[in-house]
Amino acid sequence: MKIGLEIHLQLPTTSKLFCSCSTSATEPNEAICPTCLGFPGSRPRLNRKALEMGLMIAKRLECRIPDVIWFSRKTYFYPDLPKNFQITQYESPIGVDGKFLFDGKTIRILRVHLEEDPGKIKRVGRVGEELSLIDYNRSGVPLVEIVTAPDLSTPKEARDFTSSLITELRYLIGISDKDEQTVRVDANISVAEERVEVKNILGLRNLERALEFEFVRQSKMLRAGKKIPRETRRYDEERKVTLPAREKEFEEDYGYILEPDLGVFNVGEIAELMAIPETPLMRVERLSREYGIGLSEAKKIVFTSYALADLFEDLYSKYPTSKALSWILDQLAANWSTLEKKMTEDMRNSILTTIGSILSGSISENEGRKMLVSIIKGEEFVGASQELNNQEVTKIICSILNDHPEIISDYKTNKRAANFVIGQVMKVFKGRYSSDEVAKLVINEIERRLSR
Amino acid sequence: MSDKLSFEFLTRLNEKYKIFSQLINEEEFLKAEGRYHFHFSAKDNLCTIDFQSRAGSRILDGYTPPFDATAVRRLRISGGLLIGKTNMDEFGFGTFCTNSAYGVPRNPFDPDRSCGGSSGGAAATVALLDGHIALAVSTGGSISCPASFCGVIGITPTYGRVSRYGLIDYSNSLDKIGLICRSATDLRTYLPLISGPDSLDPTSCSQPILDLSSSRIKRIGIPKEAMEGISGEVEAAFRKAIEITEEQLSIKVEEVSMSSLRFALPAYYVLATSEASTNLARYCGMRFGIVKDDVNAHFNTFFSEVRSKFFGKEAKRRILLGTYCRRIGFRDRYYLKALSVRQIVKEEYLRIFQDFDLVVMPTMPFIAPRFSDIQKMKPLDMYKADFLTVPPNLVGMPHISLPCGYYHGIPIGFQLVAPHWEERRLLHFAECWESVFEYQFPEVKL
Repeated sequence: MKIGLEIHLQLPTTSKLFCSCSTSATEPNEAICPTCLGFPGSRPRLNRKALEMGLMIAKRLECRIPDVIWFSRKTYFYPDLPKNFQITQYESPIGVDGKFLFDGKTIRILRVHLEEDPGKIKRVGRVGEELSLIDYNRSGVPLVEIVTAPDLSTPKEARDFTSSLITELRYLIGISDKDEQTVRVDANISVAEERVEVKNILGLRNLERALEFEFVRQSKMLRAGKKIPRETRRYDEERKVTLPAREKEFEEDYGYILEPDLGVFNVGEIAELMAIPETPLMRVERLSREYGIGLSEAKKIVFTSYALADLFEDLYSKYPTSKALSWILDQLAANWSTLEKKMTEDMRNSILTTIGSILSGSISENEGRKMLVSIIKGEEFVGASQELNNQEVTKIICSILNDHPEIISDYKTNKRAANFVIGQVMKVFKGRYSSDEVAKLVINEIERRLSR
Repeated sequence: MSDKLSFEFLTRLNEKYKIFSQLINEEEFLKAEGRYHFHFSAKDNLCTIDFQSRAGSRILDGYTPPFDATAVRRLRISGGLLIGKTNMDEFGFGTFCTNSAYGVPRNPFDPDRSCGGSSGGAAATVALLDGHIALAVSTGGSISCPASFCGVIGITPTYGRVSRYGLIDYSNSLDKIGLICRSATDLRTYLPLISGPDSLDPTSCSQPILDLSSSRIKRIGIPKEAMEGISGEVEAAFRKAIEITEEQLSIKVEEVSMSSLRFALPAYYVLATSEASTNLARYCGMRFGIVKDDVNAHFNTFFSEVRSKFFGKEAKRRILLGTYCRRIGFRDRYYLKALSVRQIVKEEYLRIFQDFDLVVMPTMPFIAPRFSDIQKMKPLDMYKADFLTVPPNLVGMPHISLPCGYYHGIPIGFQLVAPHWEERRLLHFAECWESVFEYQFPEVKL
């Protein structure tokens, strides 16, 4: 099975692609102007921010970026498309021939291009008496389209790929986290020779379902000895099936011409000077490469949290051993979500010191593990090394009792008088020991002095 | 000059010559009296906040835009009074101004003749009203042609010189806003007012400053291919004008070869109709202009009905032609090829401009035709009439049509072309020409 995807994502700009209308209006038809309504005599002006985001994506996907780009008009008639043509890129995308490394596999990226979104049609009223209302707030919102080669081999993989891509872009250009639900995908899927296109799938879950449905449908046809016709289908979310697309527009000839109002843009240099921030998958690759750990381990660390990855790098640069890795993965990654919420600089340091002590052999693994669990749970340490610390703790207890001799006499009538000493000791050792252990030592010492 | 203008005169002028598709109303006119520096008109395809802007089409009937075109706005803030929207061929589709939904303007020299197109109303208004400045638009000759038929000056600046913001598009890569007026002095006054970068039209933003300082014209070239198919009366007037230029202005005029000239016309019609067919897609009865009440139909049916009913015949022809040229399988053969032809013609001009300061040719191959003759013409004959005005338009070079002779009282024009951004050469020549040739204007009897 071969699957290729065309992924449409909204770029997180504050204004539209060709006018200064806001992209975050709430009331219908609130953010509209002559340009995004296609009024005669209005003109498009390119949003530089959108261009830069597009270039950044193309660069991240290791595309070849041409020196000069331009836009084209794709003409088709539809009520949500104010000019009845869409400004998009046809022969001159911002990036071509790229790739995306994902789970050790290379997915080829055929092209990345920018285009404007049409408006949105809302159907209201009872069946048979439906009314179509159009909201042009979305008209002119910048989209990026990313087209892959048919390099994906299962519906699950297609979903995971899209999901990682979205995560990447979130870090790269701050794409909205709603995109997993709102991403629009056209998918090509061929189980045998002929490919079937499923148009307009909304969200990751539907993507996987639509592809699974197609896989089963096409496989059944093949087993029955039928040929699969090349066709365009659409996904029906309600019934969870794909159906032949009835809309004629899908087979239309869009009659592309250049968009004369925008001219050409010299993007080669802009792209060259552009710095790409390190995205999660870039970091996965780097961790694997720099520290010689497996891709899947690196991925587990990075995708657990960037902070965990920082911790890993701090630790691993001092103790580059498989033991260090397993401490990070087994003890920390598993509990990270609770841990991260209460993480302080002190806590981070004590985690680093503790694992460091274990790795350097100054404390036993067993002890270390217990200490870590305590740190993670936010509790006091348990199972501290008794003999050594008894002396240390007792010394402190003695000095407190020497300073406060009244405690001994108080204790005779009220055992709770010992609590003061226990509290002071705990404070001195910053909760390093369990209060039970300390209490035992405090009571021992008081009893000892009483019995004298 | 403007104090002579009366509302009654304007109204009667319009009744007789059909030069305006919409005239200023009396109240506004009286309110403005004595409070403006000059009066001007705007071609009906320029958006105006206080007049309908219908581009000669029924499909835009009732449409008053929410903004002024930049050129209109710039003339207004310079003290101009907009007295009306001038009649034009629907969306600029025509050479004789016979394709307007709002009447056919009459030639001020002979009401039985065409005033040319598509800026016919603009040129006729200038011929009829002394001191008037007309904002006109040229895609393939729509300023030069009517200027020559009406015996006035028409300048088409370099593509990108004047902001197209607020111009109802015919073909965006070819459309240029220019001026029609009576004298070089007017050009010198008003061209700078409408020129200059405008952030609302990105294609206007990379222009060099308009420099109208004096320049020397020493040599002018006549493409010999331009003289093929020119009528006898036009050729005679043109030759005479060249003689005056050489003898009285001491400018050398020489024949040059411009073999790509004949490819300009087909390339132009492919590009112009391709772009036009996409520009006109938006007119579907939904958002502006004609909006039908009964929308209880599938959008395809609804759009088709509106477009069939409210587009004129020539608009439909050009939509079909343009759509055809853009289709898969034809796109390479027509649209893309036309783009390369445009490049070739441009290079040939540039080659000629290495040796010559200007290129000259008759503006139109014949004098303003009678309406009865136009009726007999086939579309292709009409398209062919543009073969001299199209080449400079195709490559976006500035050009000017000046009156250069009269045949039984009917004006004849010649057209001069300069390299990109060299409007000053045209202006300089126009000033020289005025010193040796006297323009005639029709007597207006109402």
